[in-house]
Amino acid sequence: MTSFLLRRLGFACVTLFAVLTLVFVLVRIVPGDPAQLILGDQASREAIDALRHRLGLDMSISQQYTAFLGNALKGDWGVSMVSGQPVIGEVFKVLPWTIELTFVSLVIGVVLGVPAGVYAAIHRNRFIDYAVRISSLLGLSFPPFVAAIILLLIFAIALPWFPVISARSGSALAWYQSITLPAISLGLIAAAYVTRVTRSAMLEVLSEDYVRTARAKGVPWRVVIWRHALRNALIPIITVVGLYLGILIGNSVLTEIVFSRPGLGKLLIGALNQRDYPMLQGMMVIYTMVVVLVNLLTDLAYGFVDPRVKLK
Amino acid sequence: MKKLVIAILSAAVLVALPAFAQKKTLVVGSGTADAGKLDPHIASTTPDKGVLSWMFNGLVRIRPGKISPEFIEPDLAESWTSNPAGTEWTFKIRPGVQCHHGYGEFTADDAAFSIQRAANKATSSYSNDYSAIDKVEAQGKSTLKITLKNPVAGFLGYVANVNGGNMVCKKAAVEMGENFAKKPIGTGPFMFAEYQPQQFVKLVANKQYFRGAPALDEITFRYIPADSSRDLAFQSGELDMIYGKQDQTWVDRTSKLPGVKVVAMEPGELSELYLNITVKPLDDIRVRQAIAYAIDRKAIVQFKGAGTSREAVSVIPSGYLGTDQKAPLYPYDLAKAKALLAEAGYPNGITIKTIHTTLTGMQTLIEAVQAQLKKAGINLDIELVEHATFHAQIRKDLSPLVHYQAARFPVADVYLTQFFDSNSIIGKPTAVTNFSHCNVADDEIRAARVSTDPAKQLALWKTAQEKIAKAVCGVPIYEQLQLWAWKDSLDLGYDVQGSLMLSPPVTEKAHFKK
Repeated sequence: MTSFLLRRLGFACVTLFAVLTLVFVLVRIVPGDPAQLILGDQASREAIDALRHRLGLDMSISQQYTAFLGNALKGDWGVSMVSGQPVIGEVFKVLPWTIELTFVSLVIGVVLGVPAGVYAAIHRNRFIDYAVRISSLLGLSFPPFVAAIILLLIFAIALPWFPVISARSGSALAWYQSITLPAISLGLIAAAYVTRVTRSAMLEVLSEDYVRTARAKGVPWRVVIWRHALRNALIPIITVVGLYLGILIGNSVLTEIVFSRPGLGKLLIGALNQRDYPMLQGMMVIYTMVVVLVNLLTDLAYGFVDPRVKLK
Repeated sequence: MKKLVIAILSAAVLVALPAFAQKKTLVVGSGTADAGKLDPHIASTTPDKGVLSWMFNGLVRIRPGKISPEFIEPDLAESWTSNPAGTEWTFKIRPGVQCHHGYGEFTADDAAFSIQRAANKATSSYSNDYSAIDKVEAQGKSTLKITLKNPVAGFLGYVANVNGGNMVCKKAAVEMGENFAKKPIGTGPFMFAEYQPQQFVKLVANKQYFRGAPALDEITFRYIPADSSRDLAFQSGELDMIYGKQDQTWVDRTSKLPGVKVVAMEPGELSELYLNITVKPLDDIRVRQAIAYAIDRKAIVQFKGAGTSREAVSVIPSGYLGTDQKAPLYPYDLAKAKALLAEAGYPNGITIKTIHTTLTGMQTLIEAVQAQLKKAGINLDIELVEHATFHAQIRKDLSPLVHYQAARFPVADVYLTQFFDSNSIIGKPTAVTNFSHCNVADDEIRAARVSTDPAKQLALWKTAQEKIAKAVCGVPIYEQLQLWAWKDSLDLGYDVQGSLMLSPPVTEKAHFKK
C-alpha cells in the first residue's frame, strides 16, 4: 500500500513536470502580448517594451523557463501579470467555490443517477426503462448553458425563488440559494452519465449466476438488488464518477459564467484572454494535481468497495 | 392569542421595514469577468475606467454627462491661467480637499506628482499624451505651474478627469507602489472599500467629499461577463444599472422592460478600415478608392440600428474639436468602384486579406463590409482570431486591411496623431496605431499641434482630414454609441449625454427617488 502510494506520487511528479513544460512553451507560442493587453491600445511601443522588460518577457524562452523552474522549486509560482498578486493565492481565493460546486453537483448526480440506473435495469425494456434512457440521453446532449439559462428564466425570473447572481455567502440560506441552480444544472448532466453506467453495469450483474442463486434460495428481491447486485456493479460506477469529477471541474467554466459565480474556470478564461503566463502555469499545476489526486482516490476506493482488489 | 397576533404583526412590520427605507446602495453590472488594473493612469478597459471615474477627480473636469471640452469647469483646481502662447499654465489648487482613507490633504505637490506619474512610461499607459510637458512644479501648497515645450491643443483636457489627468494622492501612490491598483486612493465622491475576485469591487461614500457627502452610501460594481445573465439580473432587480450588449436588438428588448431607462451615450466609437498603403495591391490608390466607393455607410447604419449608431463623417470621429463634419469622403458608387478596379488591372476582381477579432460587434460589421465589397468584385478574406491575438498580429503588419474601433479624447489632434502621423506607424519605437502607414498629412498634423491661433489650427486639421480621406489611408464606416440601462428610480442628478470614461457619471448627486 505504501509502495503503491509512493509510486503514484512519483508518477504524479513526472506528469506535473511534463504538463508544466508543455504549458510553459504553448502559452508563449500563442500570439498575443500580455504587456500590450495590460497597457491598452493608446500606449506607445516604448511603454510596452518597458513593461515587457519589467515582466521579464524580453528574455529568451529558455532563460524564462530556467528562471521559472528555479523559482517553482522554491515554492514561488510567480505573480499574476494582471493583478500583481501571487498566483497560488489568487487560485486559492476562488478554489473553494469550484470545489463546492463540483462536490454538490456530483452528489446530485449520484443521488439521482444510481437509483434511476438501478430502476431502469430492473425494468429493462419496459416503459420506465425507456423513459430513463431517453431523459439521460437528453441530459447528455443538451448544451449546459442553454439548460442554465432555462433554469434561470424559470426559477429566478418567472418564479423569483433564487437569485440570478449565484454568488451569495454569509448565511446558510444565502449559500443554499446560491448553490442550488448551478449545482442542479451541472448535477443533471452528471446524473445522466451515472444513470447510463449504472444501468449497464447492473444489467450485466443481474444476469450472473449468483444473482439467480440468491433469488432461488429466497433472498428478498430488495436485498438481492441493493446488497448483492449493486455492490458488484459499483466498480464501473466509481470509475465514471472519478473520471467525471475531472470533467466537472473543466465543465464548470460555462456554469460559472452563466450563474456569475467565481471559480477556477473563469480564472482560466481570464488568464487566457490576458495572456497571463504565470497564472496559466499556476492553474495547470492545480488542475493536474486535482486530476492526479482524484485518480488516486478512485483507485483507493476500488479496494474499499471490493476487498478482492489489492493495491500493489 | 391576541399577543400572538401582535407579535406576528410586529415581526411582519420589522421584516417589511427595510423595503420602505430609501435605497442607498447602487449595484452596477459590468461586462468583464474580473477587474483589471484599478489604477487610473493604466486602466484601459471600459469597466476599469468606469469604476475609477467615480473615485477620482482631475484638476478640471468636463461637466458630468457631457464629453465636449467646452464644458470644462473647476475640479481640484479652483481657477487657472495661462500665458498667451499657451505654454505656461498656473493652477490654484482647492484648499482643504481630503484624500481617501486618511491620506491627508490634497495639495499642489500631489498634483505635480500625479502629472509626472501620468507622463512616466513606467507607471502610465498614457505617457504619450504628456510628451510636451517640460516642467511641473508645486509652488507652495496651493499653486501648480506646468511649463510646456510647445503649446498643446486642448491642453486642459489632459489635466481633466480622463485617463492620465486623474489626480492620485502622492503619499498613497509612493507608499503602495505597484500595489496602488489594489487600493486606489483619490479624492472623488466614492472611495475604494473592498475587492472580491471575479465578483465585485465595493465603493463607499466619501463623507468628506468637497462637493458634499454623496447621497448614496455604497456602490457595488459587479463583474458579470455573460450578457444574458447580466440582463436577467437586471430584470430580476439584483442590478440597478448595467452595461448593455452593444446592439440594437438589446436596446429594443431592454426598453420594453417596465421602469427602465436605456441610454445611448457618447462618445461614439468610430469603426474604420485602415488600408496599408505600402503593400500590394493596396499601394495602388485606385484599389483603395474602389474599396471606399464600395462601402454603403447608410446601409451599415440601418443594419446596426439607427438608435445606437450613426454614419461616420470623417476619418476621425464626429464632434471632436477640429473634426470636419463634412469631410470629402468617397460616396457609395458601385460602378465607379468596379471601373477603378478594372483600371488598376483587376477586371475580374481582387482578394484582400484581413486578420479580424472574434469580438461579436466588430465581427458582424466586418461580415457586412465583406458582403458590400463582394458586390464590387472585392473578395475580403477574413481570418478570424481571438481578441488578444488580433491585437498582437495587427501590430506586426500581418493584416493589410485592419478594422479597428476606437474613441479618443475629443480633440482632433489625438486621433490624427495616433492613427495617421507617420511617427505612430506600427513597428516604430513611437508606434501607436497607424496601421495604414499613412504619412500624407504629417505637416498639417504637427503644425496644428503647436499652433496658437485657433482658426489656423482648425484649418490645418481640416486639410489633414481631407488629405487622409483623399489618399484613402482609412475608410471610415460608422460610429457605435455606448449602451447602458438603469432603473427609472435612479436619478444621477445630471442629464447624461455621454462620458469620456465610458460609464455613466455617478457623483455625490446620484440617488434613488423613493
